[in-house]
This record gives sequence, structure tokens and C-alpha cells, in this order.
Amino acid sequence: MADINIAKAPPNYVVLPFYGTGALFFLVLAVMMLFTPGEWGGHYFTPHLLAMTHTAALGWGSMIIFGSAYQLLPVICESDLFSSKMALASYGCLTVGAGLLIASFWLFTPGWMMITGGALVVTAAGIYGVNAYLTMGSCKRYSVQKLFILASAGWLLVTTLAGLLLAINLYEPFIFRSHLDMLKLHAHAGLAGWFRQLITGVSSKLVPIFLLGKSGKIRLLYGSFVCQNAGLVLFLADGLVFGFTPRIFFYEGLIVLGVVAWLIWLFDCYRNRVRKAIDLPMRHVFFSCLCLLIALLLPPALYYSHDHVWALVYGLFLFQGWITFLILGMTFKTLPFIVWNYRYKHLSGKIKVPMPKHLYHEKWLRYQLGIHTASLLLLVAGVALRQEALIRTGIWIALATAALYVGNVVTVMFYKIKTPADATVHR
Amino acid sequence: MQLSIDDRWFREKTIALSALYQVVDPELCVNIIDLGLVYGLDFDDASAVTVTMTLSTPHCPMGESIITGVKNALSGVFPEKIAEVQLVWDPAWNYTMMTEEGRAQLNL
Repeated sequence: MADINIAKAPPNYVVLPFYGTGALFFLVLAVMMLFTPGEWGGHYFTPHLLAMTHTAALGWGSMIIFGSAYQLLPVICESDLFSSKMALASYGCLTVGAGLLIASFWLFTPGWMMITGGALVVTAAGIYGVNAYLTMGSCKRYSVQKLFILASAGWLLVTTLAGLLLAINLYEPFIFRSHLDMLKLHAHAGLAGWFRQLITGVSSKLVPIFLLGKSGKIRLLYGSFVCQNAGLVLFLADGLVFGFTPRIFFYEGLIVLGVVAWLIWLFDCYRNRVRKAIDLPMRHVFFSCLCLLIALLLPPALYYSHDHVWALVYGLFLFQGWITFLILGMTFKTLPFIVWNYRYKHLSGKIKVPMPKHLYHEKWLRYQLGIHTASLLLLVAGVALRQEALIRTGIWIALATAALYVGNVVTVMFYKIKTPADATVHR
Repeated sequence: MQLSIDDRWFREKTIALSALYQVVDPELCVNIIDLGLVYGLDFDDASAVTVTMTLSTPHCPMGESIITGVKNALSGVFPEKIAEVQLVWDPAWNYTMMTEEGRAQLNL
């Protein structure tokens, strides 16, 4: 294999803290929800909802995505991760920054704590972006996946910088436009720029691997890249200069076109797959895509209705639906392999070793999929119908989802090697 | 990979294949022989055994562990030889290279 590079994954101590901390934030998010069922019917700009949104976006979504990106960048870029130390530095900045931001939103104390938290998150985004860029820089081959990953890192920096400016503005107002309008731009840069483009890029590399599928329609992905970015840039520029006008539907249409192109590409991979059985983690991906499609249908209601309920339903489908379903599933497509590589790689071929899928409780994963679906449906119904009892039930079920997820993550991370007593020595 | 009884290294290759059946792709949970990842075995060098093989996808996330498994398996049965892996992408792997057993395990 002289001239073929098998990219090496970064050491486990670089990646595992992201998974552990992300799982903890997911549990914290569910506990925070327990204290706020009465706040789910009003305006979204409340201390507790802001704290929960940032827990979901930074502590949960971005934390796990950072970890898996550091693990998968070598696979996607076909070269080793540029710097493990930078990855650890981004972990420290993101963890402390998210913690400070969440606490300052929950207590609603604009000032040094919120601004320091925001600055640390910007630093984490900067370090991540530089590390991703330099990892890709060492790779000669050009691919659409790299475009998406670089663009998403850029959007993360834009989003976090905008967030920092908003945090400063809360303490010392200096932005000439409405704070709430700026908040919408900040949120959409994060959702459509950071999360969606990273997910598009990574999934277009990993889904064919997981399904043993392929699609020759690579132009769909390039089209998706152009549409998603053009739509988002126009949305942000127009929103910044002229505010929110019906023109946003044209920009949203472009973004939706981009998302649909990506989904068609995924479906083509699914149709042309070798592996017929769809495992539980991949079923989570199906639900995630469904939630994204539903969320993309909601902006007209957000624009024309003055009822804040729609904003909450939109947020639920995006955070609890699209992002959370994806992470709940993909954690078990990555974490067990990371741990397995560390614990069993050196024993592979020598003795019979468990497979990565044996490192977690499959039954728990099945329950997780069912109860998270139930929780999301109850929360959406509760918010839409203003039924606090439904919201409360949904929150308790969300807590059960978090407990199952954390339990399974802990099971994988602390899986004890069982050799030689439990392993059959072949020869 | 085909074995011929006329092959000069038939005995060694049978032993090597038997060992390689223990190397399993951690994602697909199918051994690399039934997956059709192994293209050839070479015993011409007295001090080494060389496996020519591919992966189900270029830069497979588990590629390094599969190659470690191959080396471990061959070192176990041929301790006097150095186990070497020649990784190739041509011909690219596709599902038609799988054995009947491999296809059955993936429900194809």
C-alpha cells in the first residue's frame, strides 16, 4: 500500500470529550425543559428559551458535530487531522463558552459573563475552521464535500461573531437595527449555514459508505451547494438592509431547492444500495430528514402569522427533530467505532472480538427512536394547541430519551474489554 | 479469490485464507473473504506473505483496523514470515465480488 494513504483517526482523547460533554448537555437540556413548561406558548425571546436554544445549538449540536467532524475530517479529506491540540483547544473554548452563555441567558445577566462566553465560542469556531482548512489543505483531491465543510465552517464563524455582537448589544446597545431582526439572521446563518451545510457535506460522504450505495448524480450536490449558499447570502443581505419582506420566500425557495437536490441525491444512493437492511441509526436519519422537510414548509406561517407559536414549532422541528434525530442515530454510527478502534483493533484477526454494534444496547436505541418521536409529537401538539399537559408529558418523555441516550453513550465509552475469558482464541 | 489445487502454494494459501476468514469488516460484520476484498496471496518471497486486497470504499473509516486484522491473522499462522498488505483500488470493489455466503449475510 506504498502510495495509498489510509488516513489515521485522531487519538481518542481528542474526540471522546466532545461526545461525553455533548451527551451531558443533552441531559441538561431535558432538565431545563422540566422547569419551563409554562413558557412554551409565548414569545421565544425569553431568558429560559434563549438558554435552552443555546444549550441545543452549542452544548448539544455543535459539541457532538465538532467531535464527529474531527473524527471524520481525515476520512473526508483523505489526510490526517492537522492538529489534535487545536481540536482540544476548541473543546475547551466551546465547553466553557457554551456554559457561560447558557448560564447568563438563564439568569439573564447581560454583561461580562455573556460576552466572555460569546467570545470563547467565536474562538472555538475560529480554531475549528483553521484546523478544518489546514486538514483539507494537505489533500490534493477536490470534492464537493470539502466545499460544504469549508463553507459550513465559515458560516459558523459568521454566526458566532453575530452572536457575540448581539451579546454586546444586549449590554451596551449599539446596533441600529431591531435586536430581534438581527437574532433571526443570526439563527438562520447558524441553521442554514453551519448545521445544514455541514450535514449535507458529511452525509454525502458517509451515507454511501453506510449503505454501500452510490449515486452518479454528483451535479445535484453542486447544485445544492450553489442554491443553499446563494439563498442564504441573499436572505441575510436583504434582511440586513431592508428587513423582512416577502422577498424572503424567493430566497427560501432557493434554499429549499438546494435541500431537495441533496435529498434526491441521498434517495438515489438509497435506491442504488447494496445493503438492503436499514439499521436503527440510519432509521433515525430518515426521521431527521422528515423533520427538516416539515420545518422548511413553515416559514410562510412564521411570516404571515403574528402568533409566536409557529416560531416554537419551527424551532422544535429543527432542534428536537432534525438535529437531534440525526445525532441520536449517528452517535451510534461513529462512537462505537471510535472506541472499538482503540480497544479491539490490535486484537482483530487474533481472537474473536465483539463488533462495534455490540458495544451498545440495541434495544435501548430502538426505544430511543420510539420515545423521541413520541416526545416530539407531544411537544409540537402541546405548543400548537397550547395544552400544557401535553407539553409536560412531552418533556418527561424527552428526559427519558436523554437518559437512554446518555446511558448508551456511557455504555460504549466505558465498555470493558472482555478477553481472553470471553473471547474465543482461534489459533 | 480463486484457489487452484495445482497452485504451488496451495497448502499455504488454504491456511492463509482460513485465517483471513477471522478478519471481519466492523461496519458490515462480514468477513473480508466473503466480502471479496482479498484479490490475491503471494508466497514467492520466502520471508514474507503478501496480501493484495482492497476496501469496500476508498479511505474506509475502518480501513486501518481491517489491515491490522489481516496482518494479525497472517502473523498468527505464519509467525516466521512478515505479513504485508498491498492495498489497491483497481479493480474497484463492487458487490458482485462477494461470495454467496457474504451476500446472504447482507440479505442481498
